[in-house]
Amino acid sequence: MTTPPGATSSVDAVAADALQNALATEHAALWVYSLIIAFLPAGQATRARADLEAHRMLRGQVEQTLTDIGARPVSAQPAYATPQPVTDARSAGNVAVTAETDALRAWRAVLEHTADVLLRKAALQALTEGTLRCARWRTTTDQSPAIPTFPGAP
Amino acid sequence: MGARSVMRDGALSRRRLLGLALLVPAGAAAGGGSLSACTVGTPRSGPDPLTALAEKARSDAALAAAVLAAAPDLADRVEPVRAARAEHAAALDAEIARLGPSRAPSVPGATASPRAATAPTPATLKDALDGSAREAQDLVGGLPARRVGLVGSVAACCTAYASMLAAP
Repeated sequence: MTTPPGATSSVDAVAADALQNALATEHAALWVYSLIIAFLPAGQATRARADLEAHRMLRGQVEQTLTDIGARPVSAQPAYATPQPVTDARSAGNVAVTAETDALRAWRAVLEHTADVLLRKAALQALTEGTLRCARWRTTTDQSPAIPTFPGAP
Repeated sequence: MGARSVMRDGALSRRRLLGLALLVPAGAAAGGGSLSACTVGTPRSGPDPLTALAEKARSDAALAAAVLAAAPDLADRVEPVRAARAEHAAALDAEIARLGPSRAPSVPGATASPRAATAPTPATLKDALDGSAREAQDLVGGLPARRVGLVGSVAACCTAYASMLAAP
């Protein structure tokens, strides 16, 4: 979509598609956290619940934003394929890392696909908060460096 | 999902989008304030705005090395900071070089700040990373698409390391 010079419209179809993709990763992250809680020791389960809540809030905000610009938010899938079967705390932590990493990619892509300053700010905050969540699960699963050096880079 | 036309109306509810910006847990962009003055994607004359970020990355890496020299037992926490900031400097330099020497910094060596005589601590490093994150965040509103991902990643990484160093 091309915007005529001087138009005030700021979130175009390209940005909306990037937001839809971010929403899809938020759906997947919610599914993952719901799945893994049962496999985690108490402390990690508490963290997983907090992370799930953070994704739930983000999902709601993205859905509302998409609705407001006239887009129909993508729905969650009934289930998602995990790279490895989740059978214990370790594999549960690994899939949390995967979900957070996917979401980081999607949020960085939002940043790169919009010129809207407010949407960029929101995407950067999602990227920043997600980096912290990702780093905690990478620490739990002994991945190094715990903090990704270029969070969300493809 | 790429080809679906998702737009019915090009105008965005600014109020709602602001809601998205504000309801994501605060912290990342809290130090901003200069974003609204930016014009996205407009090339500017003068030094490349990424030059200052690259210099910050280099000085953070040097600071981390100094913290390590003074307290080698902190290697587990501090060496990853040094390595990450060195990688940030290299990536930012590569992006600056992509646009050519005409955008090279006009004030060489302007960034080196005098170091205190006492050995730097993790708290000093945390403050430096907070400052670097803020500087990167402040650029995000105005950068061209090709650069904003890199700078956003650098900002997010610096914030995460600052948070890690703040933890006991």
